[in-house]
Amino acid sequence: MESLPRSRVVTVVVAACLVSVAIAETKKEFRYTVSPDCNVSVDTQYGSISVRPGTTNEVVVKATLQSDLAEVDNQQSGNRIQIFSHLFQGSDQQTGRIDYELLVPPSATLSLRSSTGPLAVERLRGDLSLEGTDAVVDIHDVSNAHVHVNTMRGPITLTEVHDGHIELSSISGDITMKSVTGPLVKANSGSGKISYDGDFSSGGDYKFTTHTGDITAIVPASTSADFSAHSMLGKVRHDFPLQPRHTPLSFEEGRAFFGTVGKAGSAVVLRSFSGRIRLKQR
Amino acid sequence: MTCTDVQQALPDLIDGSEDAEFQSHLKSCPLCAELVADLNLIVGEARELAESEEPPARVWVQISNQLRSEGIIRDTETVPGRPVLVPAPARRWNAWWLAPVAAAVIAAGAYQLIPRKTAAEPPQVAQQQAGHVAQPDANQQATQGPEVAHPPQGTQSAATAKPSGQLAQDRASAPASNPAQSAAGHPQLAGNARIEREISPPPSAEDQRFLTQVSERTPGMRTTYESQLRAVNGEISETQLYIQRHPGDQDARQHLLEVYQQKTMLYQMALDHIQ
Repeated sequence: MESLPRSRVVTVVVAACLVSVAIAETKKEFRYTVSPDCNVSVDTQYGSISVRPGTTNEVVVKATLQSDLAEVDNQQSGNRIQIFSHLFQGSDQQTGRIDYELLVPPSATLSLRSSTGPLAVERLRGDLSLEGTDAVVDIHDVSNAHVHVNTMRGPITLTEVHDGHIELSSISGDITMKSVTGPLVKANSGSGKISYDGDFSSGGDYKFTTHTGDITAIVPASTSADFSAHSMLGKVRHDFPLQPRHTPLSFEEGRAFFGTVGKAGSAVVLRSFSGRIRLKQR
Repeated sequence: MTCTDVQQALPDLIDGSEDAEFQSHLKSCPLCAELVADLNLIVGEARELAESEEPPARVWVQISNQLRSEGIIRDTETVPGRPVLVPAPARRWNAWWLAPVAAAVIAAGAYQLIPRKTAAEPPQVAQQQAGHVAQPDANQQATQGPEVAHPPQGTQSAATAKPSGQLAQDRASAPASNPAQSAAGHPQLAGNARIEREISPPPSAEDQRFLTQVSERTPGMRTTYESQLRAVNGEISETQLYIQRHPGDQDARQHLLEVYQQKTMLYQMALDHIQ
């Protein structure tokens, strides 16, 4: 009997694998009629959640289940949608994984929670509350919204987020902000790094704190801010000709700097226990 | 009463109704009589079904979800919460004790912010004697704009402060490193390294209980919570040691409160997952 060409064998094997994967995955879709200011919460132990804007009167939830050891529980109470993953005995991080893709009204209020993540939100205007253990959090193009993010180790990245109260906290994840402004911007990481690339505008209060992580802010020369930086055990450095201002306390050389740039429109407080603080001019 | 009337009124008349017309029709119509007899038999058998023969709740939830997805049923009012599909063998755990513990953690952090008088002179008096106020050096600013703080005289330098293990001094001179992340595939998570904490007090009784409950409900998360709890406790200890040496440093006291808030966040995240 003539043996099959090797390429054909490989093709058959690959096709079989793809088919088995497709069979194992189950996709479900849920649609809800809501008003533009609806409230949507998604809670999954394992899996990603991504949210994009859709129509103003509908929430569409697409769930991809990896096995039958997990299911999607969902309920609607008027304008409030709750989606959660229910894991059965014997499920693990692979078999219990459910990935969600949501289309929501742009002004919807979101609450997302996932241990593994990632969590991704883009182009929305409603308040956001995201929580993850190791979840990678990515938020971009969000305006006029309060943004609260908590992670344990997951890194947090915000890009083009404006005009809202922003509070980011991670025990050991890095926090990266690019073009983030607002009346209140707080970022706190224990051992993760905090990186800011923006202009500290909007006349807001900005406060970045770490325990051991470095804090780096890259701002243009036209920035208008009152800077206050202090690292208890780390070094601080700035590239700006700061206008001096009086402070009632004294600090060890190289541990702090205080001064204003421009009209001091915003207040910027940089604090670290032992991380380095660097204010760079773009 | 016709056969059609009987079939329409059957749900109301099936359970032993004494309606004369209904009984009279049954006597004269063998088809309707047989239908009623069959229905009575089904009702009787259904009542005798044992509880163990009840299908698992998962089946009903799946049927319900399928009907909703097809639009056959639409609930406009709140439906019951998520069903308990898998009975947990362990005892039901009440996590309400975490709330007062978290409040105690914050209160302890707030207490740390209260300045305490020490044997040494108050910081303000020491600074007045030293004659230093943190002001930028104008000459230096004209050239390169470096660090502008001046060392206070008569106060202990932070560089010489050595918590046990000299961890802080090592960190001040060495590049800060970040904790190791276990999530695979992401450069930030894969590239960070965890600083080995030399200052890491043993877990308190509340912390031990917290970790025990985490192990019972989400055993796969225990390692993560334990490592993060150890990290936060280490940060608290480091900051407390620093405050002992620099009691006038308000930034350090504020920092301690923020670290306590991180510990509270850790507790709260566990509570959210466990319940």
